[in-house]
Amino acid sequence: MTAPLPHAASRPGLEVRNLCRSFGGLQATADVSFSVPFGTVTALVGPNGAGKTTLFNLVTGIVRPQSGEVFFDGERITGVSAGKIASLGLIRTFQTARVFPGLTVLENAMVGGHRRVRTSPFAHMISLPSARREERALRERAEAMLDIVGLSRVRDTHAVELPMGSQKLLEVVRALMAAPRMLLLDEPAAGLNDSETADLAALLRAIRDCGVTVLVVEHNMALVMSVAQQVVVLEAGAVIACGGPDEVRADPRVIRAYLGAETDTHGGRS
Amino acid sequence: MTNFIQLLIGGVLTGCIYALIALGFSLIFRVTGVVNLAQGAFCILAALACASFETQFGWSILASCIGAVAVAVTVGAVVGATSFVPGLTRLSNANMLMLTAGLLTVFEGAMQLVWGSQPYALEPFSGQEPLAFAGITIPTQGLWMLGITGVLVLALWALLTRTRLGQALRACSENPTAARLMGVSVPRMTLFSFCLSALIAAIAGVVIAPATSLQFDSGRLFTVSGFIAAVIGGIASLPGAIVGGLVLGVVNSLATAYLSSLYSSAIALGLLLMVLVWRPSGLMAGGPARRQDVRDEARVWKRVHRLTPEARRFAAVAALIGAIALPHGMASEAILSSLVIVGILFIALIGLDLLMGWCGQVALGQAGFMAIGGYTAAGLAIEYQVSPVVGILAGMMLSLVCALILSVVTLRLRGLYLALATLSFGLLVTSFAVGLTELTGGPSGMVGIPSLEIAGYAFDTTESMYHLVLVLDVALIVISQGVMRSSFGRAIQAIRTDQMAAAALGVNVLRTKLVVFAVSAMLASLSGSLYAFNFHFLSPDMVDATRSLELVAMLVIGGEGTLIGPLLGGLLLTLLPTVFAPLASAKTLVSGLLLVGCFLWLPHGLYGLLVDGLNRIFRRIGGAARSGAPSEEGAR
Repeated sequence: MTAPLPHAASRPGLEVRNLCRSFGGLQATADVSFSVPFGTVTALVGPNGAGKTTLFNLVTGIVRPQSGEVFFDGERITGVSAGKIASLGLIRTFQTARVFPGLTVLENAMVGGHRRVRTSPFAHMISLPSARREERALRERAEAMLDIVGLSRVRDTHAVELPMGSQKLLEVVRALMAAPRMLLLDEPAAGLNDSETADLAALLRAIRDCGVTVLVVEHNMALVMSVAQQVVVLEAGAVIACGGPDEVRADPRVIRAYLGAETDTHGGRS
Repeated sequence: MTNFIQLLIGGVLTGCIYALIALGFSLIFRVTGVVNLAQGAFCILAALACASFETQFGWSILASCIGAVAVAVTVGAVVGATSFVPGLTRLSNANMLMLTAGLLTVFEGAMQLVWGSQPYALEPFSGQEPLAFAGITIPTQGLWMLGITGVLVLALWALLTRTRLGQALRACSENPTAARLMGVSVPRMTLFSFCLSALIAAIAGVVIAPATSLQFDSGRLFTVSGFIAAVIGGIASLPGAIVGGLVLGVVNSLATAYLSSLYSSAIALGLLLMVLVWRPSGLMAGGPARRQDVRDEARVWKRVHRLTPEARRFAAVAALIGAIALPHGMASEAILSSLVIVGILFIALIGLDLLMGWCGQVALGQAGFMAIGGYTAAGLAIEYQVSPVVGILAGMMLSLVCALILSVVTLRLRGLYLALATLSFGLLVTSFAVGLTELTGGPSGMVGIPSLEIAGYAFDTTESMYHLVLVLDVALIVISQGVMRSSFGRAIQAIRTDQMAAAALGVNVLRTKLVVFAVSAMLASLSGSLYAFNFHFLSPDMVDATRSLELVAMLVIGGEGTLIGPLLGGLLLTLLPTVFAPLASAKTLVSGLLLVGCFLWLPHGLYGLLVDGLNRIFRRIGGAARSGAPSEEGAR
């Protein structure tokens, strides 16, 4: 079942205004504007090369926009460094899983908790009780999270030895460990098999029910339609439709640009 | 005015040699994306071989030169085929850089064995009589340098643009994958470019040899000058290499004449840093952009080596008991003093490990901080009777300040550029240690350094130093382990392989790197101070670039990114020459060979071997104890 549409009254979390960025002659995003209200799941869809990942990079400070503005919770974050943006609670994952090599699954998850750690490295040097307590709490939280996605059995494995699907789940867990106020997921279901996708959908719904705002780029329409309350459709760098899943699905431009070919395979069941 | 023109001409002439070496850098860089630090060694190899042919075999100048160049290119082909080309497919760019640093060490060690450490000079090709007109004198050798540079540049240009071979070479540099699809053998082309740059460097070496005196380790000076020239000009651009070489030659010549030879390397370094900050692609950007990230490719991290808890407990207790028992009749005085040296170097090694092994930043100038710490503490103790502890702290503070100044520049740099910036920092410190004679005692060293004294207790015997160092090292291991298991430690390891993903999780990458760099500098400084107090003597060659490279070798051989690895590497490289006396003279060669070998065949170092061995033993014991219980359980 599709969740109710957010009302205009709800507070805008992320606001993107007239973002433009081109690479050489290619206009990756052209005058893109939309907003993501707090407490909702918004899906960003569009054919390959529509500029979805570029938009993510623009919002999270990895690529600088040539013009336009990004606001998060009313604060202007255009041109702010990636680390600063993350410290505001805007946490993203990457299209190809980027787990940290050399660390175990559990340690990878714990890196996510870094931004909320309060004790200093010096306290850890002489292992003060406060440092040990915080470390234990962090570890327990990471273990609980891994348990939810079914990765606790492999928690002491070297993270890059996991199959791709598990690495992507681990990346979502790592992002969640950072206690995001808003989570940006870049194609979390790509490369996942059917049962892993089902796990992911359950995880996304759980995240949504916890009140975390989510912006997700996804190709799997069944997944998008079952989780998102708002869908933004990009084509060739521009927004061509924006609204609730049913509304967007009915939009003729969207059907022509993107869903037309997809309706037969995925779009029907949601 | 005449004087100025004279200096200008001198600068252009040396600039030619820099330009030739820079050409070799650019050539290899364009084809492989790697900088070959062994480049300068080919110069020296050819020059020394030429000297031998001429004086010992009595060959004519021409025959010796051709023979020497042939020797250098043959050696280059063998080295390239056995280490450089295979390494390219297995190692990340920054690790390739370390590999070539290892090759440089191998060359220096081998040449020291063959030719000894005395300097060699050749007879000029056309007599000593210089050309003179309008009050300006030009040594005839200078004309040879100019002419041969011109011929080489033209020949190279013709090769690259007019022949099929050159076309294939350029295809490899533009797009290796496409070149391979078109049937070009990329490894063969890589080897060809390696040999070609060895050839250029060798010719440069033979031509420069009569104009200056060279010895086994002059190669690194050529490497650094050539690299600085290449970077100034734009490392991917061949014309840039020539421009960069000439600029550097002229600047160096003027600086040496009007300021002091002491500052000429400082000015070269300043020039390098300026270019790196304002125009990272050099004066003449060209060629395809190569990625110069941190050590991003998975090399070492194919497996995580962790001891099982019981194995770890057993090994720690056994090692500690052994270390405490050693001085009591189990080790000779010679071994004990070697162990003290290992213990002191270990402090610097942990710092380097933090920076390189855990955080992934390549640093080749750690001995520079050792020198700062050593000279500061020892100088204060000798001149002003400052207590050693205060002197050590002062040294650490000075190192911290230097590290902060250096990091303003280097934090923006990664991989290759960071490595070279730190290498030139080390050389800069060495040149000050040699040049500021009234402060440091110059090349002959600083004598009369007192023993270390803490709160009235003098550590003046080997045994007392051993205990002090043991306590320090154990404390350092315990502390580092605490830090590495903390959130800060995990953040460092995240930065090692993926800065962007770490930043996206809210890790302050810049600040973390700064802290790690500062800590490693202070640890190196502490180690340098202890080193000086231990020997009661400090000379520039105890803390020069050789030492920096040796530290890197110890780290890689032992296993980077582990706390015990550097200790193993330090023990091996320090104790081998003590135990097997014949090895002492071949120490540099052995450490270089081990470094290269580890990079190619033992990526986890000695620690990886040790952990695998111990874990296997404990698995077997555990399996036996459970007698019949599934052995998988024991393994977990």
